[in-house]
Amino acid sequence: MEKITDYKYALDESSIIAITDQKGIIKHVNENFCKISKYSIEELIGQDHRIINSAYHSKEFIKDLWTTIANGKVWKGELKNKAKDGTIYWVDTTIVPFLDAIGKPYQYVAIRYDITNRKKGEEELKTSLKEVSDYKYALDESAIVAITDQKGIIKHVNENFCKISKYSAEELIGQDHRIINSGYHSKEFIKDLWTTIANGKVWKGELKNKAKDGSTYWVDTTIVPFLNQVGKPYQYVAIRSDITQSKLSVEQIKANNVKAIEYARILEIKNTQLVDFCNIVSHNLRAPLINISMLVDFLETSQDEDETQKVLSKIKPVVNHLMEVFNELVESIQVKQDTEIKSDQIGLKECLEKILIGFETQIKEYQASIQHDINEASNLFFPQKYIESILTNLISNALKYKSPNRTPIIKIKTQYQSPSSILLSVSDNGLGIDLVMHKDQIFKIRKVFHKHPDAKGFGLFMIKTQVDAMGGRIWAESQPGIGSTFFVEFINQK
Amino acid sequence: MNKIKTLTLVDDDDVFVFLTKKTIQETKLIELIKVFENGLDALNFLIDNKNDLDALPEIILLDLSMPIMNGWQFLDEYVKLYPSLGKKITIYICSSSISPDDITRAKSISAVSDYIIKPISKDKFIDMIKNL
Repeated sequence: MEKITDYKYALDESSIIAITDQKGIIKHVNENFCKISKYSIEELIGQDHRIINSAYHSKEFIKDLWTTIANGKVWKGELKNKAKDGTIYWVDTTIVPFLDAIGKPYQYVAIRYDITNRKKGEEELKTSLKEVSDYKYALDESAIVAITDQKGIIKHVNENFCKISKYSAEELIGQDHRIINSGYHSKEFIKDLWTTIANGKVWKGELKNKAKDGSTYWVDTTIVPFLNQVGKPYQYVAIRSDITQSKLSVEQIKANNVKAIEYARILEIKNTQLVDFCNIVSHNLRAPLINISMLVDFLETSQDEDETQKVLSKIKPVVNHLMEVFNELVESIQVKQDTEIKSDQIGLKECLEKILIGFETQIKEYQASIQHDINEASNLFFPQKYIESILTNLISNALKYKSPNRTPIIKIKTQYQSPSSILLSVSDNGLGIDLVMHKDQIFKIRKVFHKHPDAKGFGLFMIKTQVDAMGGRIWAESQPGIGSTFFVEFINQK
Repeated sequence: MNKIKTLTLVDDDDVFVFLTKKTIQETKLIELIKVFENGLDALNFLIDNKNDLDALPEIILLDLSMPIMNGWQFLDEYVKLYPSLGKKITIYICSSSISPDDITRAKSISAVSDYIIKPISKDKFIDMIKNL
């Protein structure tokens, strides 16, 4: 009997105890019950047990409870009850029916333990778990998500990732993340990305990736490193959004701009050529025509036989001159039209040596010294005809306009200006040209700067036309009395 | 009409010079015709004779397209030289160019009285002298 009293004492101390009759009217409560329910004993005794009902549980749940205990069975479960002040508490509950002689319950003993804190924790955990899964859902719906381990091996991808990369999840999981590398970004760029995330920092940027079918796409990317206890990343979560369209339009606009500028440049060149051509026609062709018409007029009115003969003899050279200008014009127009001219693989050194043979007599006569340094840049893909014309004209000019005071020294040099262009320079110690005075003129047709019987003003005009037609440039540096250097930029046509 | 003492032709086209000289001589309005075949030779003559009123011409017929120093370049230098010349000289550009660019450019130079498109006929020349 003493033993039973001890148990009761232990139970009273440790648990929340209530005893009700078979209808649920409270007969007894212990101190713990009063403490948690915030009612006094007096307020509870004689009350229906439902006084602490929180209305949280469903009718079925409560019905099941009553059915169980009314049938004389023990009920165990977790109950949410309401205290006097309206606060809620959770209790782990065991209800034991005490049975009479015929096996019917005549009272119920409810033994409860306060589990409010545990329940609260559980509920909070549930809420945050739900929140997390909501976030994950939102992210999966809206973004392209991939998770890799610290080495960049893909651990997880979402549907959007598969859709844009055109790989299935099976093809991606376990692969190095570089599978979608497009090779577009510089090594430095990628290195910076990895340094950032390996140091546990978030990286943000725009990446161009490659899909399975080889097409590329742009993604606005945020990579978040997940850190372990010692602060080292153990996985990376990459969240991306597709910005291919806007990138494409930006690239398109850029490309269009470049194209527009190029067209404008070509148009400008064409316009300059047209103006030049108009000037050539209006002056260089018109001048000899006027002379012919004047000569003819004069013949018609002249009475003097001697004079008539003299004038007649002047017609032929004018006609020849007209022919010459006309032919030059046709030749230059052909260069401008000949955009499809065939290029050949040219050894500049061999080509130059061949041309120099043609000048041998002149070189000997003038005791000219020709120095050339073509070894560095000798191979070029270019129309053979133009190369020969350019070299011949420049060497011919250097010899023709030599200084009377010194023997000619002509230096010919080539060097690579870029992998696709060669710069040729031909310098002499000849008469030189006053470029302050003639700067706009030197490459124009029929412009001559020295009193030389063979000066025609066609050579430089012609080679400029040829250089221009191949996308290159030609220019000169010169000082009167010291010499000239002509520079030609050849664009490799391959 | 007063007879003009000296006219200077600056032109490198010897056929044009030959015929124009004849045309001008037939008008009997000019005593002396001097010819220079480029701008530089003409300019040097002016510099050398800037105080010699008899040697300086009354009229210059200036071609545009010439070697060594063309008509435009000559005009650039002439504008600098002009204040130190002892005599007023009337300059006509006389070119075969019918390019509007050339004509507009010539009109913008105050030292140039007019732009004459070649050829120069006898009547055209007489008109020119009348309007001096």
